[in-house]
Amino acid sequence: MKRYLKLYWLFSVQSLKVVWQHKTGVLFFMFGKLIRFLMFLFFVMILVKNTKTLVGYTFNETLVFYFTFNVIDTLTQMLFREVYRFRWLVTSGELDGVLVRPYHPFIRVLLGGLDILDLLMLGPYLALLTYFLLQIGLTTSYNLSLYLLLVVNSLIIATAFHIVVLALGVLTTEVDHTIMIYRDLSKLAVVPVDIYREPIRSLVTFVLPIGIMMTYPVKGLLNMLNWNLIIVSLVLGLASLLFSLWLWGRALKKYQSWGS
Amino acid sequence: MIKVENLIKVYKSQKGNRSFLQDFFKREYEEKPALKQISFEIGSGELVGFIGPNGAGKTTTLKILAGILYPTSGKVSVLGHVPFDKEKEFLKQISFVMGQKNQLIWELPPRESYLLNKEIYEISDVAFQKHLADLIDLLEAKEIVDKPVRTLSLGQRMRAELIAALIHRPKVMFLDEPTIGLDIFAQTTIVNFIKEYQKQFKATIILTSHYMKDIASLAKRVILIDKGQILFDGLLDKLIRSYSREKTLTIILKKSIPAPLLEKFKLPFEYQMPLLKIKAEKTQLLKFMAQYLSELEFSDFTLQDEPIEEVIKKAFRKKP
Repeated sequence: MKRYLKLYWLFSVQSLKVVWQHKTGVLFFMFGKLIRFLMFLFFVMILVKNTKTLVGYTFNETLVFYFTFNVIDTLTQMLFREVYRFRWLVTSGELDGVLVRPYHPFIRVLLGGLDILDLLMLGPYLALLTYFLLQIGLTTSYNLSLYLLLVVNSLIIATAFHIVVLALGVLTTEVDHTIMIYRDLSKLAVVPVDIYREPIRSLVTFVLPIGIMMTYPVKGLLNMLNWNLIIVSLVLGLASLLFSLWLWGRALKKYQSWGS
Repeated sequence: MIKVENLIKVYKSQKGNRSFLQDFFKREYEEKPALKQISFEIGSGELVGFIGPNGAGKTTTLKILAGILYPTSGKVSVLGHVPFDKEKEFLKQISFVMGQKNQLIWELPPRESYLLNKEIYEISDVAFQKHLADLIDLLEAKEIVDKPVRTLSLGQRMRAELIAALIHRPKVMFLDEPTIGLDIFAQTTIVNFIKEYQKQFKATIILTSHYMKDIASLAKRVILIDKGQILFDGLLDKLIRSYSREKTLTIILKKSIPAPLLEKFKLPFEYQMPLLKIKAEKTQLLKFMAQYLSELEFSDFTLQDEPIEEVIKKAFRKKP
């Protein structure tokens, strides 16, 4: 584990050095991220200010949903940025070079190195999330522990999804569209999934399962989940991770090493 | 060291020449055998050349030996490990160099990649410094390790790649077309380096190259492979003896040959002043020389083997 942490640190430092070679690109990227964040924030504020509540949630609660979504979304992008570059690795045949190294390939193709730009965005999101968490005033240690447990579960599901994308990339060389489908679907949960009617709500909660990823942590915080639902979400998280690992193993056996 | 038994690899690929609709609704696949039950063994410290045309199965074999590809069937053992299991101890002892692939970080100097490899392969500080110094010295690469990779020429990049690939001093090296695309000087540098490295560190090396001269100058043993089958496995000298019985005698003449004398030559020849070229079996040529050389006025002559490329072509056609 210590060795992998050291490798992750080195990958991150090198990723930073590479990013630093393209300073103008960094500025545009940060500007784009900021605009997107402000647009969504503006949209949610208008929505809630004009309707007083959103499917029963107050303004502050809605913003906790919103910032929880952003924190999970930014964390996954920060951790799994390398997945977005995976297609090139497969089609060029450079993946071969990864597979002959004495480390688990996930350290390179899944994690790769911390995305410093997303790390910069994470700070303000965490600060705003903390502020609105304090505003809703339900922060007992039980609620907070449950919230954190469900956020970790969300990250496990996100990890599983990214591993599935990698496996599909190995099998079909298709990565870009799959990852964009994930991004688009996850945006369905930028506001609580309760705004959708059945059966869409159950679909986005349990099948996709964006609801479990983005909405359940806050619902846990607000005492809106019974233990059955919590257990179902944790089992789903674990099952999706095991499935993704199985699929990755299968994909490696089917790998044909393109590009050479 | 390396043991391959009845190795089969079948690739599955989409059938071509079908309409878009057919392909969309009922895609069909076909199986293409890349390796058909090949077997061979390579001992410790051997340098073996893998020769074959494109699509013969050379790279597939190397990739299975390195654990990149999963074999369809058969047994493969390298350093006592099953390569596809990708055990850390196995991967730390091998290296796979692909001529046209880039393992170095494009934007940064090679030294950054070497430092990363130091951690990946868990090399001690002392060993790292020594290995790096040795490799820089062998490859005369002092000037290139601190320049961004994107600014290096292909030849320089290949030298930098080799340092990255060998910094952990692997016991087994798979070199897949290491000199492809390089100019003659860069090729010579790389070939000399491989020769010297193998001599110094007794590494087991499997080499593929389209340049037969590379193989001839490095490998005593060659494996000829075509359409997934081994056609020949043995010493290069034996291959040359089996498939190259002819030599070429070239005489640089001082005076033209009189027509009556030319008519006496029983062997086929090419004659254009000042050159006379005769291609025949060695015994026939010796007989010719004993018979006619005294009658010719010449300044020099040479007796050459067939070019290695010709020998290999004959071997693939199975025509001595």
